[in-house]
Amino acid sequence: MSLNVIQPKPSLSARELVRIVLSMSVACLAGAAVLGIVYLGTDRYRRASAEATERSAIREMLGLDADARLLEVRQYLVPGARQVVYRAAPLGATAGTAHEVTFTLDGALAGERDVPVAVPVGKELTPLGRLFVATRAGLPAGFVVQGETRGYKAPIRLFVAMEPDFEIVDMRIIETTDDPGLGAEVAQPWFREQYVGRTAEEIARLDVTRDPMPEDWKAALVAFARRAPDGPARHRALLERERRKPIYAVTGATISSRAVTEGVRKTVDHFRRRWWLLAPHLEGVL
Amino acid sequence: MSTVLHPGPAPSARQLILNGIFAENPVFRLALSLCPAVAVTTTVLNGLLLGVAVLFVQVLSSVTVTLAKRLIHPRVRIPVYTIIIAVWVSAIDMSLAAFAPALYAQVGLYVKLIVAFAIIISRLEVFASRQPLVPTFFDGLGMGLGFLLALLMIGAFRELLGSGSFAGIALTPGKPLLFFALPAGGFFSIALLMALFNWIERRTQGGKAGPAKSAGGHGV
Repeated sequence: MSLNVIQPKPSLSARELVRIVLSMSVACLAGAAVLGIVYLGTDRYRRASAEATERSAIREMLGLDADARLLEVRQYLVPGARQVVYRAAPLGATAGTAHEVTFTLDGALAGERDVPVAVPVGKELTPLGRLFVATRAGLPAGFVVQGETRGYKAPIRLFVAMEPDFEIVDMRIIETTDDPGLGAEVAQPWFREQYVGRTAEEIARLDVTRDPMPEDWKAALVAFARRAPDGPARHRALLERERRKPIYAVTGATISSRAVTEGVRKTVDHFRRRWWLLAPHLEGVL
Repeated sequence: MSTVLHPGPAPSARQLILNGIFAENPVFRLALSLCPAVAVTTTVLNGLLLGVAVLFVQVLSSVTVTLAKRLIHPRVRIPVYTIIIAVWVSAIDMSLAAFAPALYAQVGLYVKLIVAFAIIISRLEVFASRQPLVPTFFDGLGMGLGFLLALLMIGAFRELLGSGSFAGIALTPGKPLLFFALPAGGFFSIALLMALFNWIERRTQGGKAGPAKSAGGHGV
């Protein structure tokens, strides 16, 4: 093959050139058609399984049983009107009604209505993210809020799970393109469980250090993440010592570690402020 | 490429499948696609899934090439083969993501790499572009099965020795020989199994054939 490239070849006739172009074009078109068909055939299942994974991750993060109710709140920006729309419906619902609450950007109520779940939101609305509210007996039992932060290369998306008093109960990285072995290590249990147990006030002041993590703390975090029987006790015993200290960065990935910490901080902070506005309007659907 | 071309009438289906599994086993004989073979075979299940994916890509690509060989201009055959492989890999990638999300999360990265597997494009060039449909199908099947079997063996060997388990079920406490779970151990595993293959062949042929043909592959 390499010899063919080196040897001088007679120049191509126009006729042959056309045939080559046709050959490649037919291959590309046929390939695109096959991929289109496969995409149409599998997309529904892919989305369903992604949703199922998400649902079980949310339940797991909040430690919920299978029959706790989950409400999904999608948040949209109305670019022209400078308004934010919250659309709340049971997670995974395909029928029934969704409750829509609209605020202006400075927090004044601009409207409230019920719409069928099946009606899609307007195309002009920009999605801003989602949050999930677990309810027990009509009261919030916990929140999972989707957040985003600027990673080393591309945005890192994360889920922060909180108690009703906004104490962190879990944190998961759902998407990162940072390098495996370096930035992607922020998804490791020992790193992400560092946020657990800290209050919203502590999160707001949280810093990141490059100091090495104490071995006993790391072992306790891993045991806690693996749901080992003694995990919660070991975690609790060391948390009092560690909660006043900064987050220990992943070695060689300080930027990603800072980005995640900043992401958790912003997510909790924004959510806390939004929730006070939103909660009174969701009482009917909780 | 050290592959023997098949002049004259194409061999039977049985011969072709056995050829892919033993005489021209992609990993143990042709020594092609060793990097992915090392990368995914830390456990037997990963090896199985990637092996099945390669089997499908090989059969689908071989069949596509043999059916379309009159339409493929010889000057651009390699780019066209690459497009054909890439289409089937993407189709299988999407299907796995939809129907086996848990497994896909583990091996998804490697499935995309099948596009660059030397074994697949070499079978297209050596066999599928010269032979009719039926032998091509069985050649693809044999090569795919040979690769699948090799990945299964390497995966089982490494998981047993490296992690002390089989298909995720722990058999021994701790990790007997962690070395085999690491990449370097992967190459040693392949070498040991290759030696086993040579030994079996030597025994079954009983000195009929001369020394085994050298397997000088250097593909991805």
